[in-house]
Amino acid sequence: MSIVYFEDVEEGDELPGLDFFLSKDQVRQYARTAGMYVPRFTDDEGARAEGLPGMIAPGVMSMGLLARMISDWNAAAQIKRIGTTFRSPVLPDRDIHLRGAVTQKDETDHTAECDIWIENDDGERWVIGTATLALPSKA
Amino acid sequence: MALEFDRSIIGQIFDETAFPPVTKEEILAFTTALGEKNPLYTDEAAAAKGPYGGLVAPPTFVTKLRAQKFTPEHLPKFGKMGFDGGRDLEIHAPVRPGDALKMASTIHDIYEKTGRTGSMYFIVIRNEITNQKGEKVAVIDHRIMQR
Amino acid sequence: MARILDMHLHSEASDDSRAPVEAYLKWLARKRDERPLEGLVLTEHRQFNKAGDYRDLEDKYGLLILKASEVETDYGHMLVYGVNDDILNRFDFKNVRLSAQEVISEVARLGGIAMPCHPGRPTIGLIEHYQKRPPLEGVVGVEALNGGSKKGENERVAGLVQAYGYHAFGGSDSHLVSFVGLCATEFDRDIKTIEDLVDTLRAGGYRPLDFRVQRPQTPIAPEVPYHGSGI
Repeated sequence: MSIVYFEDVEEGDELPGLDFFLSKDQVRQYARTAGMYVPRFTDDEGARAEGLPGMIAPGVMSMGLLARMISDWNAAAQIKRIGTTFRSPVLPDRDIHLRGAVTQKDETDHTAECDIWIENDDGERWVIGTATLALPSKA
Repeated sequence: MALEFDRSIIGQIFDETAFPPVTKEEILAFTTALGEKNPLYTDEAAAAKGPYGGLVAPPTFVTKLRAQKFTPEHLPKFGKMGFDGGRDLEIHAPVRPGDALKMASTIHDIYEKTGRTGSMYFIVIRNEITNQKGEKVAVIDHRIMQR
Repeated sequence: MARILDMHLHSEASDDSRAPVEAYLKWLARKRDERPLEGLVLTEHRQFNKAGDYRDLEDKYGLLILKASEVETDYGHMLVYGVNDDILNRFDFKNVRLSAQEVISEVARLGGIAMPCHPGRPTIGLIEHYQKRPPLEGVVGVEALNGGSKKGENERVAGLVQAYGYHAFGGSDSHLVSFVGLCATEFDRDIKTIEDLVDTLRAGGYRPLDFRVQRPQTPIAPEVPYHGSGI
C-alpha cells in the first residue's frame, strides 16, 4: 500500500482508478454484511418486481468502493467527507470503472478535494460525487 | 401532485437507536466485502502502529447502521417506491471494535425535482452517530427519492 | 474574446453540485490544450443566481462567465439565457411544472431565450414529449450535445434537429469540477455579454463541440446543415 503526501499531489492529478468485474456474488456478499439482504440487491426476479432492470448494487456499496479506490491509491488519506449522487442503478455482472481526480488543494489544513465517479464501458456515469481528504504532510 | 406537508417535522428527532457493540468480525467482514486491503482495516498488528492505535472500520462502515425507524411514522407518502438518491457522509471519528454507537435521526429537508424517471420527491434524512464516549462519529444525509 | 463556451453547467449554487466557480476556471486553465474554452455559462437549477458576481474571477482567469438558469417544464428541462427581472417576476423558477409553451414564448417576449436541454433524455427531454403532444411554437434551438447523457440520447437529437430545423448547441451539464467543458459550443461571432449570447442564439451561427476523449467519436448528424452555420 502506498502513502501519498499532500506536497506530492497536484490539482489536476487523476487518481489511478479501479477497473474490475462487479459480480453478483460480490453484491450479495456486501448486502449480507451490511444487513441489506433484500430482493433488490440479491435477486434479478425480485428486483424486476420492483421495477428495476435486475438486481442492483446498493448505493452505499458504490460509495464504499469509491472509498476503497482512494484507500488503494493512498493508504494514509483520511476521508473527512464523502458524498455521492446515485444517478443510475449500478448493475452487477459487468465491468465497472472507478475514477477520481484532485480538483482543489487547501494549504491551510492539508486537505484535498477530489471528484470521484463510477462509469460503465460506454462512459456513462452511474455514480458521481466528491470527497474531502486529509493528507499526511512532509512538513 | 404538489408538495404539501407539515413542515414542522423538519429537524425533529424521530428515532434514536442504540446498537450493540461493534465486533472485530463485523469490521473484517465489511472490509472483505469491499475488497479493502488497507492494513488499518485488515491487520490488527499493523493498525496498532498506525494513526488510530488499533484496528478501525473502513470509512463507510457507518452506512450499514439501520435505525429502528428509517423514516417517521407519519411521513406523508409522496410516491410508491423509495430509492436511494445519494448520501453525504461526514466522518468525525473512527469506529473501533467494541464501540457502542447511537444514532439520532431527523428529517433534514423535503423537496421536489423532475428527473429522467419522472417527478421525484426527495426526503433528506439526517443520521447523527455518536459513540460511548459521547464523541461525534459521523453525520449521514440520505437523499431518498420517492416516485 | 469568447467563441467557445460551455453552455450548461452547475456550480455550488445548484443544490446538487459542490463545484466552486473558481475551481471550474482553474480546471479549464489547466486543461486548455484538451478543452480550449474561453468561457462558461452557469445554468443553476431552478433559480437565477442574481447575487453571484464573478467579475473578479473573469479578470483573474481571462475567461467569460455568464449566468443563466435551468428550469423544469411540462415538456422537460430548459435552459434560460438572458434572465432579467421581468422574466423572474413572470415565472417562479422553483416550480417544477412550468408550462413549456409559456416559458418559450414569454421568455422570448421579455428579452431572453429558452432552449430545451438534453432533449433525448427520458421524461425530461423534448423528444419523448413530442411523441405524445403537439410540438412547441417558437423553439429556436436545442442542446444537441449534453455531457451527462447516456448512450443514444445525444444521437437521438439529430432527428429532432433535422425535422424541425432547430439550431444545435452543446454543454457539459457538469456537476463536478473535472467535467467542465467536456462538451461546449462554438460561436461564429465573439460573445462578450449575455445580450450578445441571446442575440446569437436566436440568429444562429453556432454548433456543438465534443472534447470528450477516449471514446469513439459519434458524429452529431454531420450531414444536417445547422442553420446559420454557413455550410
